[in-house]
Amino acid sequence: MTADQPSLWGAAALPPRVLRVSELNRRVRQLLDADPTLADVWVAGEISRPAFPASGHCFFTLKDAASQLRAVMFRDELARSNMRPEHGMSVVCHGRVRAYEAQGVYQLYVETLTPAGAGDLHARYEQLRARLGAEGLFDEGRKRPLPRWPRRIGVVTSPIGAVWQDISNVIRRRYPLVELVLSPTVVQGDVAAPAVVRALRRLYARPAIDVVILARGGGSLEDLWAFNDERVVRAVADAPVPIVVGVGHESDVTLSDFAADVRAPTPSAAAELVVPDGTQLPAILGRLRDRASAALLARVADRRRLVGTEGRALSALAPDLRAARQRAAELVDRGQRTLIQRIGRERAVLGGLQDGLRALGPAATLARGYAVARRPDGTVVRSTAEVAVGEPLEVVLEAGRLGTRIESVSAGPPEELLA
Amino acid sequence: MTDFTRMTDDQLAERPFDELVTELQRIVAKLESGNAGLEESIELYREGLRLHAACEVRLQRAELAIADLGRGAGETPAAESTDDGPGTAGGSE
Repeated sequence: MTADQPSLWGAAALPPRVLRVSELNRRVRQLLDADPTLADVWVAGEISRPAFPASGHCFFTLKDAASQLRAVMFRDELARSNMRPEHGMSVVCHGRVRAYEAQGVYQLYVETLTPAGAGDLHARYEQLRARLGAEGLFDEGRKRPLPRWPRRIGVVTSPIGAVWQDISNVIRRRYPLVELVLSPTVVQGDVAAPAVVRALRRLYARPAIDVVILARGGGSLEDLWAFNDERVVRAVADAPVPIVVGVGHESDVTLSDFAADVRAPTPSAAAELVVPDGTQLPAILGRLRDRASAALLARVADRRRLVGTEGRALSALAPDLRAARQRAAELVDRGQRTLIQRIGRERAVLGGLQDGLRALGPAATLARGYAVARRPDGTVVRSTAEVAVGEPLEVVLEAGRLGTRIESVSAGPPEELLA
Repeated sequence: MTDFTRMTDDQLAERPFDELVTELQRIVAKLESGNAGLEESIELYREGLRLHAACEVRLQRAELAIADLGRGAGETPAAESTDDGPGTAGGSE
């Protein structure tokens, strides 16, 4: 029969998945971390046997009639807290539940510790949050964007202490081109809420405020309570310009935070949110200038290309200047030649005239053998009647002059006298 | 719109910084659009350089101005517990 029995190591029996301790603890931790309720939880109980080892942290047990919970409050949270855990104290702890893998325990990591009465505060907080939320005070649609380049920033905070200093330092470092308008207020105690409202209203009444910061440093739930006061929350929601609320630490969320246009985790963060990062400005300006230069150069290059193209087009369309010039030159040449010819002709004509004139003149006559008889006074003698025997007479030949005296005179026509 | 071209460099340096930057951005955009003629482009560029210089002057001279509405407003806050320090006085110890 043994052959029919399934083998102990048969296919049906895969070896079980064996987890290592650390694997299991990690799995549990991840399970707890994934639960949003455990990440942000309020727990009421009584503190039992708090221990303060040298590390500065505080370990205690939180218990009620039926159960116990391990709790730890780290040094930083302890330092911020207004109260020190004491045995037998009834408290409300705010924090998160996580598993501590190394020891396989889960515990409450306490961020804030408030006396048990504060549980009432928390209830009031939730009530007011629900009521104002239902009114739409916290609607995302109400949120306005912050101005990109504010010129005047209103700040509502205590003028005493680090918060105001932090805010003005951050803005001086990042963007000192603005004016900060401080509207000082008390931020703690029973008088805080109406004082904060007054300080806000004072700013709202000022013209030309671009954005408002409402800020306060960290503290206990009661310390921050003014920022959960309905009057303050409504005044925040009433802001005529965008408002940033930065109250306490990252983990402190007041109703004013919900009503703000922007919630900042801390006062310094609020200051950083409202101004641009001025340290980038020289680089931004430099890039703008470079872009302007590049654009201008591109425009010049465009124009140059255009002028080149147009120039070529123009020269293609233009009459052929060279040919015209050549034609003109030819015309001039021709004109010149004509003129020269004409001058030559005129000169020839002139030469002929001159010859004619010369033939008419006395020189040509003398050259043919004639002579001119003149009296000493130069008058030409044409007739014997004009002279008498014995008178001097000058005879002009072609070449030379004769000084003579008249010996005889005979009248008659020239033909006879010359025969 | 403010006519920046008519301002002297000194007047320009008195304008709000963001106005100067916005105008500079407008000029660069117009230059880059290529819609301006060459002469206009040169004018725009010259104006851009002027604005850039004014911005630089503003940045160099920038000094945070602070006004306090508390003076004379009767708000003299009493000393209160400082926030973050250890050993902070609270009302609940």
